[in-house]
Amino acid sequence: MKQIKNFANRFQTRISLDKNLILKKRDRYFLLNGSLKSLISKDFFYAGTYLGKTKRGKLFPSFNLLRMIAEEKANKVIVDKKTEWLFICGRDIFKQGITEVIVSKRKGDYTLILNQHGECLGFGKILCNLDKAKNGVVIENISDIGDFLRREKHHA
Amino acid sequence: MSGKKFLVTRYEEMGWEYEDVKPRQAIRINSINAKEAVVTKRLRSLGIKLEKIPFLKNGYWIHKSKFSVGATSEYLLGLYSIQEAAAQIPATLFTELEDKVVLDACAAPGGKTVQLADLMQNTGVIIALDIKKRRLTALSNHLERCRVRNAIVYHMDARQASRLKVKFDRILLDVSCSGNFVTDKDWFKKRIIEDVKRNAQLQREILTEAAKVLKDDGEIVYATCSLEPEENELNIDWATKNLNLQLEKISCYGEKALTSVFGKKLDSSIGYCRRIWPGQTQGFFVCKLKKRRCAQ
Repeated sequence: MKQIKNFANRFQTRISLDKNLILKKRDRYFLLNGSLKSLISKDFFYAGTYLGKTKRGKLFPSFNLLRMIAEEKANKVIVDKKTEWLFICGRDIFKQGITEVIVSKRKGDYTLILNQHGECLGFGKILCNLDKAKNGVVIENISDIGDFLRREKHHA
Repeated sequence: MSGKKFLVTRYEEMGWEYEDVKPRQAIRINSINAKEAVVTKRLRSLGIKLEKIPFLKNGYWIHKSKFSVGATSEYLLGLYSIQEAAAQIPATLFTELEDKVVLDACAAPGGKTVQLADLMQNTGVIIALDIKKRRLTALSNHLERCRVRNAIVYHMDARQASRLKVKFDRILLDVSCSGNFVTDKDWFKKRIIEDVKRNAQLQREILTEAAKVLKDDGEIVYATCSLEPEENELNIDWATKNLNLQLEKISCYGEKALTSVFGKKLDSSIGYCRRIWPGQTQGFFVCKLKKRRCAQ
């Protein structure tokens, strides 16, 4: 729970989650609702909204969690269509591909990556002050929704 | 008793003339995540040619695409699922799904689980089971991608569902079956009648357990992608005679199921089931059963 809150803080936002509805299964966190909670038994494999997993104290967020953070006022950049696809393919983001920056432009901050429809594609780390950078790579890709495809290949 | 000639002769005896059928790729728009018109517009702008499936609410055939429809932003954002047309039918046959407790007894890889969540608008609870643990990861990824919030997944054999100690309003039995030749080019080489009989027995065991955990007046939708009557009409005839279940009329694509199989006369209500011979879709069988209310 603390790790999830700390993770949201890195986007300069807070998310409020009912800790009574968060369930931990080994290293994975799930958010339930009242109906799910009343029926669930401890040997479940997956439940409700998957929030992410921790490994050696570090949180690896799910895309659900990123989407929840994106619904708040938080660090975001909106990218153009070409950059959207390159980002989903695992590439970093060039300055030219950014159409809008919301909240932080500061080097070292985490930021969510959104497409032109406002849909969250993943997140990255700002590599240099977005005000000052003229071109080149400015955001490092940390996690993107192309991961679903990579998982499919991995499990095939 | 195996091979193409043997099986095709059986189909002819059931009144269907064998023809080669190529599977058509289809998608289903996830209405919980986006409006149908918005998604189709976005896909068309990518150059994907879609054809509305006339007998499905949110289904489209992929008429033409230069790239895989499983590799678009829209797919990865859960705006649609890739789901064969006939496979989109079963979940739509339930009455009133919102706020219900639903069992998806053989759930992986999760296409129908996601469809149930969509029809339920993420309300109520879906309990999804699968016997194969390695398939649960694919199921979970599917749920995460499509933003399903109302499902609980267990690694469990459907024949042990009563261990959950939950009574269900609705049960989807998309049971493991012998399949059909449309989706597997080597199907005729692989299948022998003993496989069909073994699967039919397993399906009866699953039906028996489902009837146990179903509430009175609750509904079971039973579906297979098998063309073999042992897994379809004969199993359902057996279920209506042994499990306190009765068939309900359904209105969907497909033709009236067989009420007489290889000389054996079945209950006339079997005609309420739908048999889909390969053509526009793969081969399929589907029906809806209701649990009779126990006498007080």
